[in-house]
This record gives sequence, C-alpha cells and structure tokens, in this order.
Amino acid sequence: MREPVDDRLAALRGSAKRLDYNARSLAALENNPRCTLRALLDASGSDKAAIATHVGHPPAFGQSSFAITRGNAFEAMVKANGCAELLRVLRETLELTLPEVGYEDLNDVGGDGRSKERHERTEEVLLRAARGEGDGTLFDHPMLCLQIGGHKAYLEPDLVAFRIDGRFHVVEIKSFPIIDEQAAPAQVRAATTQASAYIIALRDLLGRAGIGEEAVSDTIVLVAPKDFTNRPTGAFVDARKQVAALTRQLSRIERVGDLVDLLPEDLTFDLARDSEDRPRRPAEELNEALDQVLVTYRPDCLNHCEMAFYCRSRARAEASLDVLGPVVRDQFGGIDTTTMVMGLARGELTPSEDQMEMAAALRHAARLRAELEDLGGAA
Amino acid sequence: MSDPLDALEKSIGTLRRAIRDAAAAGDTERAGELRMQLRRAERAWDALVDAGEPAAAPPRQAPQAAPAARGSQLPAREHVHRALMLLGVPAAPKLIVDVHEAFFPGELSTSKLSSLRRDEERSYRSSPGARPYYLCPALAHDLLTPVRALITISTWTLEQRVIGPLSPRVDFLSGAIRIAKAVRTSAESAADGASPEALRLLWRFAVNIPDAMPKNASGHEGALDAQQVIGAAQAELDVHTETDRANRAAAARRARKSLSDDEQLFGAPLRGVTHLRSARA
Repeated sequence: MREPVDDRLAALRGSAKRLDYNARSLAALENNPRCTLRALLDASGSDKAAIATHVGHPPAFGQSSFAITRGNAFEAMVKANGCAELLRVLRETLELTLPEVGYEDLNDVGGDGRSKERHERTEEVLLRAARGEGDGTLFDHPMLCLQIGGHKAYLEPDLVAFRIDGRFHVVEIKSFPIIDEQAAPAQVRAATTQASAYIIALRDLLGRAGIGEEAVSDTIVLVAPKDFTNRPTGAFVDARKQVAALTRQLSRIERVGDLVDLLPEDLTFDLARDSEDRPRRPAEELNEALDQVLVTYRPDCLNHCEMAFYCRSRARAEASLDVLGPVVRDQFGGIDTTTMVMGLARGELTPSEDQMEMAAALRHAARLRAELEDLGGAA
Repeated sequence: MSDPLDALEKSIGTLRRAIRDAAAAGDTERAGELRMQLRRAERAWDALVDAGEPAAAPPRQAPQAAPAARGSQLPAREHVHRALMLLGVPAAPKLIVDVHEAFFPGELSTSKLSSLRRDEERSYRSSPGARPYYLCPALAHDLLTPVRALITISTWTLEQRVIGPLSPRVDFLSGAIRIAKAVRTSAESAADGASPEALRLLWRFAVNIPDAMPKNASGHEGALDAQQVIGAAQAELDVHTETDRANRAAAARRARKSLSDDEQLFGAPLRGVTHLRSARA
C-alpha cells in the first residue's frame, strides 16, 4: 500500500529535491486542513515557492529579515548569562524552585550541528531527565523528530523546561509584545500551533521509551516582551485544542493516498529544471496541472502559504465566495460564487428548492440597499 | 579615551597596583605573570612613543611571537583578559564587552573578540606556552568539547573552565558578586562614584536575582545597593555551589586523565564524542 503512494508523490514532485516538513508547514496543516493542493504539495515535498513563482504568482511575503533578526536578538537576550532573564520568568510562571537552574545546551554536539547527531543527543539527555537523573531543567534548542508520512521532519523548539514534579513544558520565545497581559491573537495562535507540533514530537520521543504522554504538558509557556519594554514576561497558553487538531491532521497525512487516487495518472508539478536550474516547463502547462487539483482558498492563507496568491487569483477568476473569507462564505451555504449570489439577489436566477430561503433573504437585502441608495440620492 | 598611549598608561598603572597587591598577598605566581604583562605594556608604550604616531595602534609584539598582524590584536587581548579577571568566571563575548565598557577605558567590540579567539588557538599550536596566558573556550562537562561562546583564561584551573549543568547559573551569580564588589570599590575610591554603565550592568544582574532589588515602603524599586546584591547572590549561590563544584571537579578529573595538554585548553575534538558515548552506554 505504502509503496505506490510514495511513487505517486515522487512523480508529483518530479525531478526536484524533496523538501521535508518543518514547523511552518506543519502549522499550516492545522490552519487550513481542507486544502487538497497544499496537502499534496507538502506530502510530495514540492517546492511551493518555486512553483508559485513559475506560474506568475511569486510569494510576496516571506520572513522579513528584520523580524528574524529582532526575534533572534530577543531570544539571545532572554537566554544570556545562564538564562538569567528566562529563569526569573519561569520562576514566576512555572514556579521553578531555587535549585532548578540546570542548563543543557543542545544547539550542537561538541561543535557538530547536524540534525541527526543533535537528535540523538537530545533523546539521550531528555530521557535521562525524564527518568529523574541529572540536574537538567532548561534544555536549549533540543532537536526533535517526527515521522510524517514515512519521512523524518526535524523540529527545534526554542526551549523545553523540565519541572521537578516530572512534566516537560514547551517554552516558546517570541518577540511580539504582551501588552497589559494581552497579545495579538493571530500571533499567539501561530506560536501555539507551532508549539503543539513540538509537544507532539516530544511525546513521541518519550513514548518510544515507554513514558506516557502526560509527561509533556499541553500548556505552553509563552515568553515575550512585556508592554513597551524589552524585558521578557511569561504567560501560559492552553494548546490542548491545537494539539488534538494537529494530531488528527497528522494521522490524515497517512491517508494522502486517498487524495492521490483522485488525480489523473500523469499529473505532475515538475518544473523540469535544466542544468542551470532554470525551469523548462511551460508555465501554462504547469498552470493546467495545478488547475486539476482542488484548492480551498481563505484570505488568511496569505499569511502562511506560498501558493496563496495563485489560489486567490484562481478564486477570483472563478468569482468564488472564498475570496471574501469564511465569515461571508458560511452565510451562503450551498452557493459558491458571487455571480450566483448577485443573480439571486437581483431575481435574475431562479433559485432551486434548497436555495429558496437564501434567495428570499438576498432579495430582501437588495431591496433594503436600493431604498437606502434612494434616500442617499434624495438627500 | 581613544588615544592608545593614554590607554596604555592607564593599564600600566593598573598593572603596577595589581602587582603590589599580589606581592602583598604573597601570590608570587600571579605577581610574576602580571610583571610579564607590565613589561609588555611598557614595551608597547616605548614603541608607540618612538614611532611618534599614536594613531597607528599596533604596538610591538613580545620578541618570540612573530608577525606584526597578530600584534595589532594585543590591546584587545589585554582588554578581554582584564574584564575576565574582574568577572572571575567564563563569560560570553557580550558580557565581556559590557564589563569592559563599565569599568575600563578603551575600545572593544564583540566582532573583534571572535577573530581573537581563532587567533589564540592558532598561536598556541604554533608555539605552545609562548604567551603567559591564552584565551580559550570553556569545556562541556560531559563531552569535554569546547563550549560555544564562553571565553576563559588558560591560567584558570580546569575546575573553573569546565561548564556543568548548574555552572551557567553559578557563574552568573559569582559574576554578579564580583561586579557588585567592583561597583562598591569604585564608589568608594572615585569622587563621582561608579560609572552609569557599571550601575546599569549591576542592575541587569540584580533584577534577575531573588531579593537583590531594594524595596522601599511603597513596594517600588529604590536605588541599587551593592551590598544587598552581594548578599542575595550569595544566598542563592549557597544552594547550588556544592553540586556544581562536585560536577566540575569530576569533569576536570576526567579531562586531566583523558585529554592532552592542548585539549585541556581548547577542548576535545569531536571524534571523542562517539567514543565517550559508547563508553557510557
């Protein structure tokens, strides 16, 4: 069963090098689970940015280098001088006791920064801590690993803290501020989703050694600048829902075969690069290939998916309600396009049986709007 | 204070005082080492005066060490040494620069530090022991490999240079005590008290030590009290010291047994990692 699916996925990717899942692509699973195109591209390890660029919709975003620098500087500040700032925050939030200050640096193994070596060392150190040996409390950049659809994905949390009562906590260090104990919900959500991938990976690591999943707390500690200062503060964020959602999505990846089966046999997203790395495949042909896969566009895809601009233009071309976002879309159950909505509102289309109610509401709304326009015109 | 001559004169003065103190304390080894530094500083001073152009910084090197290119880094090296001696514990480049700016004159930047470190090991390997001290990385307690971004001085004992799980905190607290003492000393000796940079540095340490910040009646933060910082840091230090010392001593013993002289300074090479792990398993 496994083999043919992998072959099909490899064929979808074509000649390009396989890109593994990372924390960002895992988080996207939880963000927009219904999108078939995204699921296929990620499962096959295709280079989404290159594909989007080739069909004329280059991802206009990316991670801003300023944001990355700022994030790294804040993290370095929090961890400077034996994690002095972080310890203060964790003593406040996790109520770490005075003796719990042990620090293990897992950024590299004696200068070796390769993922595999770091993962082995992480496993060794964390298992030792879980069995209550050693003085480790703070584990800096452990390297976790998840098997996703038969492929390894390495994940690297900012920090894992170990509490003496035997639970690990994932600590996320972010540079967006917590002002009056409130932070931007979208940012917190993104951080929590990312952290839930770490929680799952950490549970997986411990689970393989026969340690139950209750050893990893499903509450994460968010460390971020307080108010308008640069000093860190901490807050608990409940990640239970996102851990559950992501777990479900991960188990669905295993069934990506069902999605592949719906596709035409010869479909591929190969860019057919030449020796100088220039895509040789005509853009129209690639466009046609992409068109055969269902997309579920949502405006917030623009925040995290490289294909978002392509999907938006496609949704616009189809006059799909997706462009207006789920809030609007959900109002019009059973109606997919703006043309149909307008047609029903103007009474140009005859509604089918299950559209009757919606059509009446739309015509009512259109009448109200017309009256308002008349009033406005008279004034 | 950008004039290298001024900086040298100041450091010559500091060295003379330190030699007097060391001699008074009967520490002949330390005094000898300081005398060597003093002689070098004086030679550099002579060279600068003779050259008659103070802007061209590179002072003459000690005779046995070679090219002039390395000599240009001599002042930075001394700066780092001085800051580390004040702290008394392994420190990250950023902290070294902060301590330097808080207590000593002259220019020092973190970028200069990273090139300096590579240079130190190369210099040691080409002629071991030619310099009175070397700046070397701290060692990890389990793998005995060099610890990223923590600088130590070769004249320190292995126990001081090894980093165990508790050592980052212990070193932070010990460093806080040393800085608080330095602030107190300069407040007593200098007319205008400790520099604002020094107070800021101490404040950054104090806010992360339980009960180190003074509280006045309304519960707000009052003026910083060096003695209170020392007391608070010492109180937490007492909790960790024993475990940390045992860890470090055990690691140092292992290092003495299994590492060559230069590895004891610059860390075990990576090939030792798998070997150690299989030995433990």
